[in-house]
Amino acid sequence: MALAGQSQPNAARKILIPGDRIPLVPDAAHQSKEGPLKVRVGPGLQQEQGDLVAVKAGVLKQAGGSKYWMDGSQKRYVPAASDPVLGTVTARQGESFRVDIGSAHPAALSILAFEGATRRNRPNLDVGSLVYCRLSVANKDMEPELECVDPATGKAGGYGELKGGFVVKCSLRMARGYVNACSPWNRRLVLITLNYSLLNPKNPIVTILAESISFELAVGLNGRVWINAKSCAEVIAVAKVIQACDGAAASDINKLINHELRRLEDAMDTS
Amino acid sequence: MAPAAAAAAPTPAGNGTSVSAMAVDGDVAAAASQGFSLDPDTFQKIHPAEFHRRFLSQGVRADGRPLQKFRKAKISLGPVSTANGSAMVRLGDTTIICGVKAEVAEPKPAAPRSGFIVPNLDLPPLCSPNYRPGPPSELAQTVSEYMDQVIKSCDLVNPETLCIEPGHAVWVLYVDIVCLNHGGNVVDAAMIALAAALKHTRLPQATYYETESTVRVTDTFTIPLSVKRTLVPVTFGVFDAAVVIADPTAEEEAHLSTTLTYVLDAENGEAAYGVLKSGGSAVPRDMLVACWDDARKRAVDVVAALAEAEQAGNRRPDVAAV
Amino acid sequence: MSARIRSDQRKLPSEMRPFYCSSALLSRSDGSVRFKSGDSSVLCSVFGPMEVKIRDEKLDKATVEVVFKAAAGNSTTKERLYERVIRETLEASILTALHPRSAIRITLQVLTDDGGILSTALNAATLALVDAGIALRSLPAGVTCMIDQEGVLLLDPTILELEAARSTHMFVFDNISDGALSNISTGSFSMDEYTSCYDTCFSAVAAVQQLFRSSVEGKVRREHGPEADA
Repeated sequence: MALAGQSQPNAARKILIPGDRIPLVPDAAHQSKEGPLKVRVGPGLQQEQGDLVAVKAGVLKQAGGSKYWMDGSQKRYVPAASDPVLGTVTARQGESFRVDIGSAHPAALSILAFEGATRRNRPNLDVGSLVYCRLSVANKDMEPELECVDPATGKAGGYGELKGGFVVKCSLRMARGYVNACSPWNRRLVLITLNYSLLNPKNPIVTILAESISFELAVGLNGRVWINAKSCAEVIAVAKVIQACDGAAASDINKLINHELRRLEDAMDTS
Repeated sequence: MAPAAAAAAPTPAGNGTSVSAMAVDGDVAAAASQGFSLDPDTFQKIHPAEFHRRFLSQGVRADGRPLQKFRKAKISLGPVSTANGSAMVRLGDTTIICGVKAEVAEPKPAAPRSGFIVPNLDLPPLCSPNYRPGPPSELAQTVSEYMDQVIKSCDLVNPETLCIEPGHAVWVLYVDIVCLNHGGNVVDAAMIALAAALKHTRLPQATYYETESTVRVTDTFTIPLSVKRTLVPVTFGVFDAAVVIADPTAEEEAHLSTTLTYVLDAENGEAAYGVLKSGGSAVPRDMLVACWDDARKRAVDVVAALAEAEQAGNRRPDVAAV
Repeated sequence: MSARIRSDQRKLPSEMRPFYCSSALLSRSDGSVRFKSGDSSVLCSVFGPMEVKIRDEKLDKATVEVVFKAAAGNSTTKERLYERVIRETLEASILTALHPRSAIRITLQVLTDDGGILSTALNAATLALVDAGIALRSLPAGVTCMIDQEGVLLLDPTILELEAARSTHMFVFDNISDGALSNISTGSFSMDEYTSCYDTCFSAVAAVQQLFRSSVEGKVRREHGPEADA
């Protein structure tokens, strides 16, 4: 399958607004021999009588010939399974914690969803603690559920309570860290890049900053970023860069980072 | 199956009932072949939208009416003897009572000769399980507001005829419309009641005494309020964005994709005083025009009912039907 | 009839006032837009999907809440009617089934009112929903017109012009269906006048839709850089 001919105005368009139709026509190159053609529809698109219809504004993306989704930006987080998120514990309820992850409904974090946790050996989290966790259940009709273990290994894998540091908010697109290479079907890839280098290593913000400052970063796909560094000045510098680059044009990012780094150097000199 | 089908169509209208029984029977037969059966009442409860869809696909409605048939407007004038004017309107199960109360008030400085008409629709909890006690519901407030806008913009009553003494005293007419039973299409019933009650209103003779700056009212001599036009509201419902039904019932209203209300002038069939279509599915231009044409026919019937009610005697609570 | 001078700078009865919008003005809301049409200006803020009050909770879809604040004075039943029309119009476009048991809150604040405030507010709300990333089936856009005492149809009238209106008409159309989503008409008018208002508003909405597209495209280009068109 491929986008229909150029005669259709929407077919040539990359930036779509809600209501735009993308007619799909069989493409000889992708015509599968095995049977019916399959198109996988991702976020921001809906299928309607054989056409795809945009329901959100953004750029139409395509991967692997038959996967389509919309890349747009928004501030409000809608839970999706296996997303890493940063949340604040708001209450303790018997066997679970209530965690605010910025979505419409608070999420539940079971006391058993920690590395090595048993009924005897409970994790001790206070109200107000910051936790880095993964969404194990995300369904529009159910309360979201969190876990602080990697289900494949049973190990914490970087999840758990985060102590010290500072949390800033950013747009969801920023949090996804310019993951151009990763389609929404490669959640694992997103997860790996986010877990081990904590943002896509190709992300210019992280790479440029890391040359001058050493810092820790935990990125929640719910638009929250935790930053920790040796000094407060460095934490503030990283936080300000992240907020300044949010929604900024890609060409301006270098300028913004350098501006903030110069300010940091000035602050260090006077102290 | 016959008794159950009749229960689904409480006003058996010969033709309509047999078709509706067929529609429901077909479903029951299909269900029975799979080992269980469903009577129409249960089917309506668990799948109300589908219940109506099956009726409409056969060109008939759950209460036995054809799609374009309106319910008879039963109007009686003067049921409230203590009000300056009153009317009771019934559209099927919908029952609305309207009273006009005239009070003396000071005019606004900007318009020293203009009186006021204040329509207010009340949907109390007694009329439907959908309304709770407390402040008026959004529907009640918005319908009152729309009626007010229509009355003002079409110049139903010249506000200067409500003047007692310029700059000092004018009449303010509180038009209180109370829904007693919500059987659907409250907007039509409320506006018919408003139009009928205003036509029936008589104002007492009032004299302003400059020296005491008071108004004295004599009830022994009353003057009829001069109402310039006869407003007739006509509402249609649209089901599944395609099927137009006239005068929807409360059960139908819950499953409509949109509603369409025209306010027409009954005496001058060419003129309209309002159209209200708030959200829901899109209504194409030709559907808007076609409904307008149907609304004109309805307006003639409502005016006939009003005339009959007037003939039946001004202050006698008599019921006149179309 | 040539070069009929309107109450403002416009020359033609079928001329709209210049309109534009700016988005993401408020840092705390999920989406915000200011929509200006001549001297009418409305600021809209959208939150959602967010937590819903228990009594408003719907098990199968999101609850859409609309609050309309006039430029001055207490809110009256007029604002209630505006809220209802805007809510019922947007409810049909928002894919509410995607977010059951949650709320989408739309707050509209009139900054200046110079006629056609309901259509201006609706346009602001539509764009704010796009800015907030709420899934929409279509983009509803509103236009107001009036017919004056001489029977001349004036598009997008000012408050001064509305004072001399025999009838006023507000129509809402979207970018996917060929019918009216909403319509409020008051005054006294014939069917021919009504249909010509419908036709005039229908063609005028195309310009508003064009603004919707160009403003959204501008925002996406800013965020994505050159790769947006690649």
